[in-house]
Amino acid sequence: MSNSTGGPSGIITRTYKSGSIIYFENDKSEYIYILKSGKVFLTTIKLDTGEETKEEVRQGEFFGVKSALGKYPREETAQTLGNTMVLQLTPADFERLVLKNASIVKKMLRVFSNQLRRIVKMERSVLGEGEIVNSDAELFKIGEYYYKAGITKHAQYAYKRYMEYYPDGPNAALAMKRIRAIDAGEPPPADIGGHDAAPATPPRSVDTGGDFSIEEPGGPGDMIDFDDSSDEKDHRAPAASSTALEDEMNDFLTEPASGDLDDFSLDAAVDSDSPRDLSDAGDASFAKGNYIMALELYQKVINLNRFESPEEKKLFEKAHFDSGRCYIEMGKPKEALDILSRILRNFPGSPYVKLAIYHIGLIFESVNQKDKAITYYNKVLNMSPKDKLNSEALNKIKQLQGR
Amino acid sequence: MALDEKFFDKFGVEYSPNEIIFCEWEPGNEFYFIQSGNVRIVKLIQNREKNLSVLTDGDVFGEMAILEEQPRSATAIALDHVKLLKFHRDNFDTLMSGNPQLAYKLLVIFSKRIYDAKRRLMILLLEEPQIRVMDVLVMLAEQDPHLDLQNEISLQVTAQDVARWAGLTEDDAQKELTHLNRTDKIEIFGDKIVVKKIREFQRLVASRRKSMYQ
Repeated sequence: MSNSTGGPSGIITRTYKSGSIIYFENDKSEYIYILKSGKVFLTTIKLDTGEETKEEVRQGEFFGVKSALGKYPREETAQTLGNTMVLQLTPADFERLVLKNASIVKKMLRVFSNQLRRIVKMERSVLGEGEIVNSDAELFKIGEYYYKAGITKHAQYAYKRYMEYYPDGPNAALAMKRIRAIDAGEPPPADIGGHDAAPATPPRSVDTGGDFSIEEPGGPGDMIDFDDSSDEKDHRAPAASSTALEDEMNDFLTEPASGDLDDFSLDAAVDSDSPRDLSDAGDASFAKGNYIMALELYQKVINLNRFESPEEKKLFEKAHFDSGRCYIEMGKPKEALDILSRILRNFPGSPYVKLAIYHIGLIFESVNQKDKAITYYNKVLNMSPKDKLNSEALNKIKQLQGR
Repeated sequence: MALDEKFFDKFGVEYSPNEIIFCEWEPGNEFYFIQSGNVRIVKLIQNREKNLSVLTDGDVFGEMAILEEQPRSATAIALDHVKLLKFHRDNFDTLMSGNPQLAYKLLVIFSKRIYDAKRRLMILLLEEPQIRVMDVLVMLAEQDPHLDLQNEISLQVTAQDVARWAGLTEDDAQKELTHLNRTDKIEIFGDKIVVKKIREFQRLVASRRKSMYQ
C-alpha cells in the first residue's frame, strides 16, 4: 500500500493509495505526519454519543501530533482519499522542524492550551466544582494543617500569603496571631482542630443598604414550572449535560486546525463575531477580575443571538450565566437575578440551570434574605446528578440555619 | 535543554531545601521551569499531606497558571537547593516567541495533560458508580506501562483517591470497593488495591460505554 523513501533529515515521505489507513484509533505509534498532497480524513468516535465524526486535514497541516507527543494511543483513525503523499516524522524530527519556526509551536501551543483549558473547565463543571470554593478559607486551612503538624515554616508561608491576599478576610486576625506566635517561637497549641479552625466564609457581600430587598425572579410560577421540568431532566441528567460535553469532546478530539486559533491577548477577539472567541475573551477578562469588560463580551455573545448549533446554544446559555456572575461581582444583585432567572425560564434543560439556581441562592444570601437563599439552595440539593454543588448547597443551608 | 545564562539573570529564582515555592489555594500567576534541583509537589487530602510527584531538571510546573486564573491546586516545595526560572503569565507570548524550546516543552506537557483530563472525563461520564470505580482502576492500570494486565495487578491507590477520580463521595466509593472486595474481584489494603482480572473490568467498562451510545 505504501512505499517509503528516506528524506534528507530522516523524515520519510510516504505515498498511499486511496482508502488506505495511515493509522487506526488506539494504535500506538510515535509518528507525526504532515499532509503534502491528496486528502486525509480523521475519523473520531465521540465519547458521549458514539457518533462518528470526520474531519479533513488541510494540506500542509500536521496530524497525529498530540498522541505522538503525549505518548498515548491514537484517538482517531486517519484514512486517505485519492492518491496521497504524507511526510512521516519522529518526535525528534518534529522537534527539530518546529524549533526552527517559533510561530508554528506558538500556534500549536495556543490551540492545545485552549483545548486543555476547555476540557479542564468541563471536568470541573461535571464535578460541580466551579467558582464556589472559598479559596481564602482553604488557604488558611493549609496554614492550620502545617501549624498543627509543627511545620511552622510552611505554616508561616501560608499565613503570610493569606494576609497578603485577604488582609480583610474572616481569618485575618487569627492568621496574624499565628504569624506572631511563630515569630516569637511559641510552640503550637496541641488542641487546634484542623477543620474547625477555619470557618467557611460568607459569599462576597454586595454593598447594600439595610433596607435592601430584591424580588424573586418574576414570571408566573416560574419556580414551580421549573421544578417540574428539572425533575424530568434529572432522569436523563447525563444527556442534559452532554450537549455541552459533546461540543467539548468534539473540538477536543480535533487536531489543531488553524481556524481554531484565538489569542492569549483579547484584543483580536473583541471585534470578532465568533461566539467562541468572544466567550473565551470574556472568560479571560473575568479571570483577570475585569468584570466590566467580561460582561461586555458576554453580552456580545447574547446579542449575536445565535443558538442553532449545539456549540452556539451552549455558548449562548453560558453567556447568560456568566453575565450573571459578572453582575454579582460588580455588586449588582438585581441585574444578576434578572439574567440568571432568564436561564431558568428560557433554557430549562440547560446544564447551567443548577449553577444559576445556586447563584441565585448566593445573591439572596448576600442581601440577607436567608429564607429565600435556603429555598434556592434546597432546590440545588435535590437536583441530579449529585455533585459537589449539592454538597456546597447543603453546607450553605446548614450554615444559614445554624446562624 | 539549556536556556542561556542571561535568562537566569532575568527570571532566575533560588530556593533552599524545604522552602515552599507556592502553596495550594494561593492565587497563581507564574509558571516555573526547573534549572536544577528537585521539587516536591504535595496536596492536602483528607487533612493529610500527600505526595503527588517529584520533579527534576528540565521539568515545568505551575503551568496551569498560563491557562486560567485559578488558585494553585497543589503545593510545591523545594526538596534540595533549587534553581528555577519563573515566568509570569503576561510574558507568555513574548517568552514563547523567543524560546521555541520552552514552547515545545510545554506542547509536550499539554498533549499529555489533555489526554489525562479527557481520560478522567470518560470516567465521570459513566453513570453507574460501580462502573466508574472499575474504570478508575482501569485508568490507573493503563498509566503504568510496567504492569502485566493479563495477570493480577497491584495499584498504589487509596479509597479516597478512587473517590476523587470517580467523582463520588468517599462513602459511595467505599461502598463500591467493598462490594468488589466481597465478590472477590479486588483486595483492598491500606495504600494499595490488588485487582484480580483488570481485563475483565476493561471489557465491562468498554461494553457499558458502548451501550451508553444506543
